[in-house]
Amino acid sequence: MADNAAELVSLTIDGVPLKVPKGTLLVEAAKQIKQEIPVYCYHTKLGPAGLCRVCLVEIEGTPKLQIACNTPVADGMVVRTQNAKVDAGRAMILELLLVNHPLDCPVCDKGGECDLQDYAMAYARGTSDLADPKTSKPKGVDLGPTIVLDEERCVVCQRCVRFDDIIVGDPQLVLKDRGVRDMIATASGDPYRHNFTGNVTELCPVGALTSKTYRFKSRPWDLDRTQTTCTQCSVGCQMFSDVRFGVPLRTMSVEHDDAISDGWLCDRGRYNIGFYDAKERITQPLYKRGDTFMQISWDDAFALWARAITDAIHLSGPQSVGTIGGGRLTNEEAYVAQYLFRALGVNNLDWRAGRQRQATPGSRGGTLADLERANAIVVLGDSPADRAPVLDLRIRKAVKRANATLVRVAPLDVSPVPSIDVVDVAQAAAALPATASSIAVVWDGIDAAAVERLLDALPENVTVRTYITSEQGNARGAETMGMHPRFAPGFAAAENGLDTEAMLAAASDGALAVLSIFGANPALRHPNGPLVRAALAKTPFVVVSELFMTESAKLATLVLPAKGAFEKNGTTLNATGDALPVNASLQAPEGVLSDLEMLVGLAEQLGVNLPAQEAVHAAVIEAIAQAPAFDLGDHAFRTRAAQAATIPADGLRVAVHSNVFAGDGTSAHDERIVALRPLAEALLSTDDAKVYGVSSGDRIDLEAGGLTLHNLSVAVRAGIARGTLVLVDGLATAPANSFAPGAVVRVVHVRKGDSTLVEA
Amino acid sequence: MMRKRLYNIGAILQGLGITFKFMFRRQPTVPYPSVMKQHAPRFHGLHELRRYADGKERCIGCELCSSACPANAITVIGAENAPEDRRSPGERYAARYEIDELRCIFCGLCEEACPTDAIVLTPRFEMSDYRRGSFIYSKDRLLVPPEAGVGTPPDERPNGIPADLGRVAEVKSTVDIAAGYSATNRGEVLKTHRRGLAG
Repeated sequence: MADNAAELVSLTIDGVPLKVPKGTLLVEAAKQIKQEIPVYCYHTKLGPAGLCRVCLVEIEGTPKLQIACNTPVADGMVVRTQNAKVDAGRAMILELLLVNHPLDCPVCDKGGECDLQDYAMAYARGTSDLADPKTSKPKGVDLGPTIVLDEERCVVCQRCVRFDDIIVGDPQLVLKDRGVRDMIATASGDPYRHNFTGNVTELCPVGALTSKTYRFKSRPWDLDRTQTTCTQCSVGCQMFSDVRFGVPLRTMSVEHDDAISDGWLCDRGRYNIGFYDAKERITQPLYKRGDTFMQISWDDAFALWARAITDAIHLSGPQSVGTIGGGRLTNEEAYVAQYLFRALGVNNLDWRAGRQRQATPGSRGGTLADLERANAIVVLGDSPADRAPVLDLRIRKAVKRANATLVRVAPLDVSPVPSIDVVDVAQAAAALPATASSIAVVWDGIDAAAVERLLDALPENVTVRTYITSEQGNARGAETMGMHPRFAPGFAAAENGLDTEAMLAAASDGALAVLSIFGANPALRHPNGPLVRAALAKTPFVVVSELFMTESAKLATLVLPAKGAFEKNGTTLNATGDALPVNASLQAPEGVLSDLEMLVGLAEQLGVNLPAQEAVHAAVIEAIAQAPAFDLGDHAFRTRAAQAATIPADGLRVAVHSNVFAGDGTSAHDERIVALRPLAEALLSTDDAKVYGVSSGDRIDLEAGGLTLHNLSVAVRAGIARGTLVLVDGLATAPANSFAPGAVVRVVHVRKGDSTLVEA
Repeated sequence: MMRKRLYNIGAILQGLGITFKFMFRRQPTVPYPSVMKQHAPRFHGLHELRRYADGKERCIGCELCSSACPANAITVIGAENAPEDRRSPGERYAARYEIDELRCIFCGLCEEACPTDAIVLTPRFEMSDYRRGSFIYSKDRLLVPPEAGVGTPPDERPNGIPADLGRVAEVKSTVDIAAGYSATNRGEVLKTHRRGLAG
């Protein structure tokens, strides 16, 4: 293709001469002269299939009409897309498509934005020669937790089938049966379930595949549409938020967003929008008196908070004040947060509330388009499929379309595309093909020593692009804005403060008087759960800004109700360093403030002059423009929490695995994604399952150092190292950080499938 | 001068002649509300939501009425029928249906747009009340009682496609225009029905 790219072919479409690269399909060539050719089965991202036949055009010299979607351009071709012959051909195709299509447009979710409606209006005759009744097929078929199928409406374009195969690489949907009985179903008969199912509802040109969450809720013309950036993970997909009467009813991908999302959304981003009006949401500041929270006014909250900070600084100096979080804030909020605390002399700032240590890849950071073009991709640490799903689609695209080599180091899941799975970093470098000229390293930002060894082991004279998938949407933004103990905005050197580990250690020694936590949940996400719980209990004044009563909020002295991403304006910085706009599409509930408004309120009480809005914007833009000079695993990001990965002789070591639907905040309080949430599961290797005499479906209780974790469902997986017990990160029902890091965990009870209790 | 005045008297007599002529005709006004006038057959008054003969609501919550409404008076929110409590034939029904009768201009476009003949304008016109909010009519006041339903629901027709799609005349005939129509009285009937349903 690359050779042909320069070679141009001249042809005429509807009398307009144009030159396009050789190999271009007619349907794409016609777009250049703004001539739309109707298509159902063809999709720019899925390629041609030649199934629906609606894209008929007349090519001079061919006796019959040809399909534009599967005909490449040829030199001197004369094409007519609009004339009586073409119209008659399309009218016939549409009549055939409509033979069994029900006329239930008034109740169809697609009605109003349906390609079949539009093209029927444009090309069809308006009458039908069909005398017999239409065939009846099942309606409202439950395909899986997210999708409903209406078999009558399906026009068998197979876009959904091809999406699963070509884009996701997990071909679950197939076309079952043939002729008039053909229908879309999963091949296995199991529920249709992967991280990208929602995209088929947008690909479907008719109303056959629709989302359960949007079913019959509205009509497309009722919706107020706002383009914004998804902040659920660090990819930063562009999306439309469609709101009616102040309720977000659905989100839609932005098709031309080629730079970031490639036009897709994952199911977490698409469906996790139901928490904004959840009844569990906090709508008033809560102050803990004894063991119970009482509602107080914002004025009192600001006064208490400011008083606690002033007293702490006055009595024991600014080192007794700490601030954790920022990965869920906007860039502006993170900037103002660090500005305010640094203005008070507080340097104990750290966005890192979880396992991740670094969010900015540094000087060799690549774009998502670069990732797609890499010859070889090395994935180190947590699977991007569970941390940054849409980024993982780029990896799959590189592997499937460009035959890139995918090497994964100690993966905990199964890759849908061919991959070389190795156990350590040294093997990863050896597994790379010698011919690879560009290598992409996708890291989870956790094990700095491992990534350093990997980078050292990579061959010389190759282009290396680095990527870090973050636990939180704006982790990179928070780091760039200076929510970091060593860096001021733009990675300028700052007066060193305590990092999260040191703050928590100081707090558990009683050396911290005030700890403010913004948009972070260390009690559930930090690897050392016992330490966090001890630290928060010991600190006299803990402030948590949250939407829900998370594990951290429960341990706070003052809980401040915060706005969600759809309720505020600002910018966010994604994993690849693109500054993206966050636009408000919802009105926040009364009494809820954004973190920025909270900081402004606090600054007023403390008498700190914050920079004006324009100054903040300028500072944010300037900070983003700085090119950091470090690499993955740089020592500036290392903390003292290094854990030895030895396999214990007796017992199990906990390994933690991300899941995009986990968490006890926004994802836990959204009934739309309940069915997608991970189970409280413990993954065990087949060897360990034999040792403990357990099989998948059994329930186990765990114990280590006096701490216990009850009733975990066992799932036995091949490919997990012996002596490793894998837990899902961020589940309040089974916190993966229940034990101290590196603790040797024992299985104390086993409940077999028949509920008999066995002492282990 | 004199001739001009005489000419004026003639004009005055001519004008008064018309007045006197009507004094001896039957009065066109009626002592409303004790006497009711016959409405024109296609008078556009207060809306009602119809049902099928089996009591199911005709409205499928498609919002075509609210889209057609030039006054933005109609708000519809659809929902999915629960299998154990089916409100309408098919999969969708109107969970909320509200008409702001103060906004309504009684043009009848909603009636034209309705694919199931669910929304119809009746000759009822008496809607006085003390509060503006009372003029937002929701399903509890718009829906006819279950026994007033007409027509076969589309479920029972082949393929669930209503055969009478878009034919308003059949449903209109449930109001007996020829027999006269007491709007006030009909309102009373509706109230009793509702009380009966509630009790």
